[in-house]
Amino acid sequence: MIEIGKHSIRFILFLLAQVYVFNHLELGLGIQFMIYPMFIFFLPNTLNIFLLMSISFVLGLSIDSLSNTYGLHASAAILIAYGRPYLMKLFEPRDGYPPTTDLSIYTMGYVWYATVFGIFLAAHNFWFFLIEQFKWSEFWFMILKIILSVPLSLGMSILIQLLFFKKPSTR
Amino acid sequence: MRNLIAFFRRFRIFLYFALLQGIALSTYFTYLSFPRSQYLTTASAVSGQLLTYRNDVTKHFQLPYNNRKLQYENIQLRQRLSESFIKVQGALFKIDDTLQHQQYEYIPAVVINSTVNKRNNYFTLSSGKSSGIYRGMGVFSNKGIVGIIHNVSDHYAVVKSVLTEDINIDVMVEKNGIFGLLKWNGKNPKIGTISSISNDLTLKKWSKIVTRGGSGIFPRGLPVGKIKSLKTVEGKPLWDVEIYYSEDYRKIQNVYVIKNLMLKEQKELEKKIPSDEEIE
Repeated sequence: MIEIGKHSIRFILFLLAQVYVFNHLELGLGIQFMIYPMFIFFLPNTLNIFLLMSISFVLGLSIDSLSNTYGLHASAAILIAYGRPYLMKLFEPRDGYPPTTDLSIYTMGYVWYATVFGIFLAAHNFWFFLIEQFKWSEFWFMILKIILSVPLSLGMSILIQLLFFKKPSTR
Repeated sequence: MRNLIAFFRRFRIFLYFALLQGIALSTYFTYLSFPRSQYLTTASAVSGQLLTYRNDVTKHFQLPYNNRKLQYENIQLRQRLSESFIKVQGALFKIDDTLQHQQYEYIPAVVINSTVNKRNNYFTLSSGKSSGIYRGMGVFSNKGIVGIIHNVSDHYAVVKSVLTEDINIDVMVEKNGIFGLLKWNGKNPKIGTISSISNDLTLKKWSKIVTRGGSGIFPRGLPVGKIKSLKTVEGKPLWDVEIYYSEDYRKIQNVYVIKNLMLKEQKELEKKIPSDEEIE
């Protein structure tokens, strides 16, 4: 029950942060900060895949309706939600995942987090920019956007964890 | 039958994924070309209200810039007031003008949400149908054109800005009337491009670009920008023209929506142009 409440509050916070703050950070060159993939990444590991995809779909559509992208964020969000179990299986630590905690930098370490969330984010950005541009003539510009956007979003997500996430006391 | 059920059971995750993906992508591509309703856009009541809250805070950040702009425009208008003129003819002077009729009316609006870093950028205005705004109307500020109304609800409107790929507003060089279509390449919100100008025409750097007023959306002569650079397109006899926009779209707040009172007349007349097949 506490888990549901926690994730519902996070849903709203990530949604508002994305549309109110990060959509308006303009660094030029088409760089966009994507913060909401963090929410999908932090959903419990044991969650049913159908529920996972549905939640991502709703989150994506909410962001779309507040930033005039008409379903683009929803599409990218479902893609990463669908791919998440495969990714998690691939990078599963030897002893399995810790049962109820978030897979944050504190519980999993910086290297694991940067690798897995980096791949997660790269898949999201690739799909997002591919559909947004929808033109092969701008392919290299799209690659440039992804190369610049992914590390910045990754750095921002680590910063958010350092600032707002509690360090588990048992470690 | 059993095989079919087995198939659905086996691929149910992928099928659900494909279903959601289909919904998302089909809404994206239909809304991009023609929005059927205002749900899922910032023109909807809830989104519009949420963005208004945000704008209540952020509008103050650009206040000096926008005040200066409005003041400048006020000076220009004040110079045209009757108080600013000397009467030369005494009492004999006619006010009712039969030679000139009003063609354009302007509706003021405030931009409550805008982005500049996406491939296609849409702005949200805080006025809609109740103020007389409809799809297809032009939007401009006193420094330059902004875009075309894409979608309206009762109290909000979404503008397809000049920072979208295929905005296709017809623009011309102010001095000699050479015209082309305005586009945006998605890289820099300060720079736009003009396509379909044949490269045997001579263009000068820094010459002023204004609207042509061909389609009746914008009046002739609204400022757009200045030519920044000229290159020839490889393999085609065309110029690749880059322009600096005269408006800074990152700071824009106060805009005007254009209502063309004679648009219907123009469209009806243009409908009578015979197409190629009818001539044969």
